[in-house]
Amino acid sequence: MTAVERNWKPTPTDGVSSPTSTLQASTEEILKARYLSVTLNAASSNSPPSTPFEPTLHKNSHIQYLLRNLRQGFPARYISQAASQPWLIFWTLQGFCVLGVGLDGQTKKQAVDTLLAMQHPEGGFCGGPGQAAHLLPTYAAVSALAIVGQPGEGGGWDKINREKMYDFFMSLKQPDGSFLVAHHAEVDVRGMYCLLAVATLLNILTPELVAGTSEFIATCQTYEGGFCNASFPGWAQHHSSTSPIDPSIPRPPLGEAHGGYTFCGTASWAFLQPYIKTSYRGSGNVKPEVNLKALLRWTVQMQGSSIELGGFKGRTNKLVDGCYSWWVGGCAGVVEGLIGEGVGKSEDKAHATDVPTEPDGEWDDVDDALFNRRGLQEYVLYAGQHHAGGLIDKPPKPSDSYHTLYCLAGLSAAQHRVQPSSSRRETLSAAWTAHAEAEFDGLRKEAFISALSWVEEEGASLYVGGEKNRLNATHPLFNLTVTHSEGIMAHFYRQTIPSRFTKKST
Amino acid sequence: MSHVESNDPADQTLLYCEKPEWQDVTPIPQYDGVNPIAPIFYTPEYKDATEYFRAVVEKDEISERVLQLTLDIIQMNPAHYSAWQYRYRTIIALKRPLEAELTLMDVLAIQFLKTYQVWHHRRLVLTALYESSTSDSASSPSSNAAGAAAAAKELAFITRALETDTKNYHTWSYRQWLLAFFDDEALWEGELPYVERLLEADVRNNSAWHHRFFVVFGRVRAKGEVDLEEVLKRELSYTKDQIAFAPNNPSAWNYLRGILERNKKPYSDLQTFVEPYTVPASSSTDEGIVDLDNPRPGPGAQLPCVAALEFLADIHEKAGGEQTKQAIEIWKSLANEHDTMRKKYWEFRVKEASA
Repeated sequence: MTAVERNWKPTPTDGVSSPTSTLQASTEEILKARYLSVTLNAASSNSPPSTPFEPTLHKNSHIQYLLRNLRQGFPARYISQAASQPWLIFWTLQGFCVLGVGLDGQTKKQAVDTLLAMQHPEGGFCGGPGQAAHLLPTYAAVSALAIVGQPGEGGGWDKINREKMYDFFMSLKQPDGSFLVAHHAEVDVRGMYCLLAVATLLNILTPELVAGTSEFIATCQTYEGGFCNASFPGWAQHHSSTSPIDPSIPRPPLGEAHGGYTFCGTASWAFLQPYIKTSYRGSGNVKPEVNLKALLRWTVQMQGSSIELGGFKGRTNKLVDGCYSWWVGGCAGVVEGLIGEGVGKSEDKAHATDVPTEPDGEWDDVDDALFNRRGLQEYVLYAGQHHAGGLIDKPPKPSDSYHTLYCLAGLSAAQHRVQPSSSRRETLSAAWTAHAEAEFDGLRKEAFISALSWVEEEGASLYVGGEKNRLNATHPLFNLTVTHSEGIMAHFYRQTIPSRFTKKST
Repeated sequence: MSHVESNDPADQTLLYCEKPEWQDVTPIPQYDGVNPIAPIFYTPEYKDATEYFRAVVEKDEISERVLQLTLDIIQMNPAHYSAWQYRYRTIIALKRPLEAELTLMDVLAIQFLKTYQVWHHRRLVLTALYESSTSDSASSPSSNAAGAAAAAKELAFITRALETDTKNYHTWSYRQWLLAFFDDEALWEGELPYVERLLEADVRNNSAWHHRFFVVFGRVRAKGEVDLEEVLKRELSYTKDQIAFAPNNPSAWNYLRGILERNKKPYSDLQTFVEPYTVPASSSTDEGIVDLDNPRPGPGAQLPCVAALEFLADIHEKAGGEQTKQAIEIWKSLANEHDTMRKKYWEFRVKEASA
């Protein structure tokens, strides 16, 4: 599409100006100007005028940016992230993985040692050495270890104290099924997501751990369809502090529907499905419900219009931001997976044999994603890249570690389709090895299979700008590659995972 | 009081390693025997203070001087949750005046509006203040006079903070917690007028719309004490007026959907209201008729409005039968003309309705 053809219709204001519409209009001008300058620069450079312009992901410059952070470290303005050190490491390492860059053994070893220095003696990981344990850095550290670690001496995985981590998790649990993110800290859906992802990766999920958590997550869905950060427990608790919470007493959401919380709420809901499936049957307890249709509607409504270059917003009437490429764009795929599972997907597109991979544009007919994949890719490619490397919220913001990963992960989520596959589920189920001494084998097996049945649909990729912009696929629930998710889970569940790749006849 | 914490930079010119009163403590470096990957290059002040903080944590020291140390660290890095956690423990253990702690934190809250910890700390302190002033554990927060007074003061502070940033997530979430926790009539009664002032200033402020929903429908104590039909009538009327004023406002449409769902009312109740918003502006023929229940689009309205089309399609879909075709026609027009970014979604709706 050329600049002339693009629809530059501004968001309608109905002749009523307000602070929101003023900010929106100036942002639209910035995005339009950025788009035009990228296309014009390209037109004046060496590409033949007859070829339609295709945006480029400046992979090398982003790799250099990540390398600088990894090797040289972060300047003093990153002191604000000194309590998020595992995050800085995770964002950087996962950025490399999405970009398809492998790491050498020495770097991996150094990363493992750094991460283990942040494990708390009483369980969980801290924002930095000597700090308190916290659910958020625990997710970041375990995920980073999934990337750089391995079993055995010096590999890091066997140094994760899972027993103490479980105790730490239980010490944060609240009567309403939620968890504090740290002692004396807040209850927040982000913490629930981090806990569930880690419990699933490390095989420490138990019915005791997550009793009531599904109900809590369900109460965080707002009237708009997305999730907020927490619900209010008090009215339910005032009634009686000893008996279990009465699910019929309202627990209103605190805060409006928001992209980050919606990703965390939705992915948590997916992580809780194995528990819901195995624990409610015949228990007499009422299954909690999330309105998936409303959630889907909210998620797709967050995608900005053509003049906003198809990027995602984090809240109704707020601005697009590159990080929501993952939190909302990535979430759309999770919602689709949940809806698909709910209605019992009859056809299974994964492992379709011998579908040729075509670059860009040829696959509109088979693209059954419910958000605009092309639109999201355009936002990241046009508005999300910083000329000096790294990715950003929107021009003219500077790049940072956080936006670099979440723009790249969002771009990847728009390129690939990673969805639950019933044939993969069957394969994993057939290969499951029961360990006699393991408690709750049914739940553990279901958690393992449910997480790893998310695989890439072959022939469903779409690359704006051509295959040169291809990124690796990332698991929609963990934000790790499927290979890294499988590696660490195979270790902690003591399973041998059948290959995802069917042998091609030559 | 002998030891007053200070925000004054003049008092902070000495590093902790230079302060005589800290000579008994051996600072602990961040990494011991590890060459860290991707390190942050700290300022000398930050490095110094956090090394002393690790030492304090190590020996579990609870003392007055820890209060200044944690405050110094928080001012350099308000996201240092461990420093906040330690500060809270210390304040409680030393029985420090809690009102003073809130006042001390006022400046920090405004300065670091987007930090989780500044708001959570206030919540902890306020809860402690309430709990310390009541010995009767059975009483509810609202029946506690000291608690109620502190809550009222806090609500005023939150209003000031929201003037700085009318959509700040943490501030709004905290406001809602405060109202629900204290659940005091005097606190609640000003909320609806407050929301209306904010929506008058910016009808597109989604945080204010969400707060309206929370205030009107989130409060369960009011259950049975008010006429829900009257409340719904008032809310529908207010929302329709806001939609007429600026039709292309997704916040108002989401609110409209929200209150109908919440009260289990069919969307079709609003068909007469919605229809004029689904056609081009010039096509209406009854300009002279004023229908207060169904306010018409204002003069500047840019029609048809996407949210209205979606709403009308939902009415048709629900009705089913022959009307399904009308729903499908609307979705196709959204997919191909009015809302092409969501083409896939509208096609999905067509597919679902046809199945």
